[in-house]
Amino acid sequence: MFRFLAIAVFVVCTLAGCSHNYHWSKSHPLYKKAPYGKLAVAGTNEAFVLTRSAWFAKKLGWNPDSIQLKATAFCEQVFLDEMRRAYPHFVSIPEQNFNHFPEESQKLDSRIFMKGRLPEQGVTVKDSAGEIQPYILIIHEFIVGTDLKRETYFDYALIHNESTDKKTSTHISAIVSYTLWDNEKQRPLFSAVDEVQRPITKPTPEDLEALVRSAVKQIRINLYGGVS
Amino acid sequence: MNRGLSILLFALSLIIFSGSAFAQKEYFNSHPALWKDADILIWSLDKEPAIDPKEFCLSLKRNNSGIGEPKCRLQGEWMRDTVAMRYASWLNANMDPALKAEYLRARHPAMQAKFQALEDQIVLFIAKNGSVVNVAWFDETASEPKSAGTIPLSPDKVSMGDEIANMFFDGTPKRRLSKEERKKMMTEPDEYFQEVPVFKMWAGLGMGYSQAQIPLTPDNWYSSHVNSQVRNYRITKDSVSLWNFIDDSDPYFTFYVGATWYDFIGLELSYHYAKHHMKTDPKDTVYQELDHWDFHQHEIGLSAMLSRNYKPLSWMDITPFLFVGFQYSFFVESIELNDDVKTPSKAYKARIKFEDAYKGALVGFGSHFIFLKHYGLGLRTGISSRGRNTYVDPSPDAAAESTIIGGSTIDWFIGAGLEYHLNLF
Repeated sequence: MFRFLAIAVFVVCTLAGCSHNYHWSKSHPLYKKAPYGKLAVAGTNEAFVLTRSAWFAKKLGWNPDSIQLKATAFCEQVFLDEMRRAYPHFVSIPEQNFNHFPEESQKLDSRIFMKGRLPEQGVTVKDSAGEIQPYILIIHEFIVGTDLKRETYFDYALIHNESTDKKTSTHISAIVSYTLWDNEKQRPLFSAVDEVQRPITKPTPEDLEALVRSAVKQIRINLYGGVS
Repeated sequence: MNRGLSILLFALSLIIFSGSAFAQKEYFNSHPALWKDADILIWSLDKEPAIDPKEFCLSLKRNNSGIGEPKCRLQGEWMRDTVAMRYASWLNANMDPALKAEYLRARHPAMQAKFQALEDQIVLFIAKNGSVVNVAWFDETASEPKSAGTIPLSPDKVSMGDEIANMFFDGTPKRRLSKEERKKMMTEPDEYFQEVPVFKMWAGLGMGYSQAQIPLTPDNWYSSHVNSQVRNYRITKDSVSLWNFIDDSDPYFTFYVGATWYDFIGLELSYHYAKHHMKTDPKDTVYQELDHWDFHQHEIGLSAMLSRNYKPLSWMDITPFLFVGFQYSFFVESIELNDDVKTPSKAYKARIKFEDAYKGALVGFGSHFIFLKHYGLGLRTGISSRGRNTYVDPSPDAAAESTIIGGSTIDWFIGAGLEYHLNLF
């Protein structure tokens, strides 16, 4: 009996000690109000990445040579459309107004670092009409694949672990890292890494579309939830 | 009426007083190094800075008498630099009581490089922001403000300078290092992580006390030796220990030099002196002819030591050690008859003789307490023994031979010494 208890205590301690409690988001102390009605998005032109493209090509019946281009353009378009539906005053920041900023790392947690472009301190980003949008949602990375786990992409201790090749996949998934940028005061209001999973029945372009839509929904929920 | 007016005036003055006392607001202050004769660079966004550099220097001197002769000027280089001015305007917009220093960090590498190149100059960011003036203190150690706060804007530059001086410049100023000293400081390892010296030497002068009885051991192990007395110049119950003949509990004086390698293994050479009285039986009338009968004990020992260095404070080292070694002991007789005795007794002539030299071992432990790297206090305790000098092959009639006097003389000692330590390599 005592031996069993000792083993149980040991197992519990080991599990509790080993499992790292990740913080997947970080709010600025002055993030008081989530954007409502008005939002700009930047970085979508280079954020989308499709993994397991051969698998997707086969399942969706798209040409394997152009699947990467086609799928990322498709996802970007769905993403922008979904955003446009959610925010009446929606603006997409043109590439040339944003992509010259260098990539920097942002720390969310002792082990989670995300990489992405952030505008310089003291420099406001203008949209194509030359206007200054108060909030810019910067999408750093939008990874689409199957059964993705965000810790394998963002925990630097796990980054070099090779994942086993799986024959069967249960979910199509998306991992999004993004920053809500205060364009007037040039500070990151809210940064997060989100993971969205969607069970596979028979993969279709509609599934992919639904995945991106649920990612947008998740981002919007988190933008509200992150207000400090 | 008069009374009402005075109450009103009092209330008014209270409001004004409390207003001025709480108007200045410190967001955070990590108390950065304040230098004597500091170079203070005023970094402002405004065409007309809120303070006057010359007047600010006078404010500093009025506020803190220890500050010496500070020099204040505008940080012109940064005020003509795009990256610096972008950060400055960003900082001015972002300074807020809710934000800690890390939220105000400069992200641009060129800006960070500017901070690192400041050496020991202090940059004071002063910028108007509506009805207040933002103040932030930067130095070379970080690319974020070390202290920050606001004061209400007023057209009086002298009083503004006074308020800033009062808010941030209250610390005790430190002497500024010369260029060479700074260079040396940069290459020096942190004092707590210094390399272990290869070879360390010391010399010490000390005194202590020794006795036959080892603490925490029963009295009856020693009582026959300690209580024994010498009759007729040579008769004792037992002669195996010298403590049967001479007093065992006496002070001793010692001089020693030693060295350690890597604060770990060492050698120590010591000289030890003590004076012991002969324990003559007072009832024995034969001693009436004696003025005194003493033995001077001289010992030379060499011991190996193992030690370890601890540094609880930057100015103090504690080095506990264990030692084990051997020693040669010489007992030099000092005997004198009373002046009126012409010829000594027969027993005097046939009195007891000790061996020329005894060889023994010593073992113990102790610790050096070294202050300011050189001045040490050494404490030690241990057990030492004295036995026969040379090993002689046992002869067939060994059993018939008389035992060597003092062949097994053991004592316990405790002592302290003042030391001087030297790091040679």
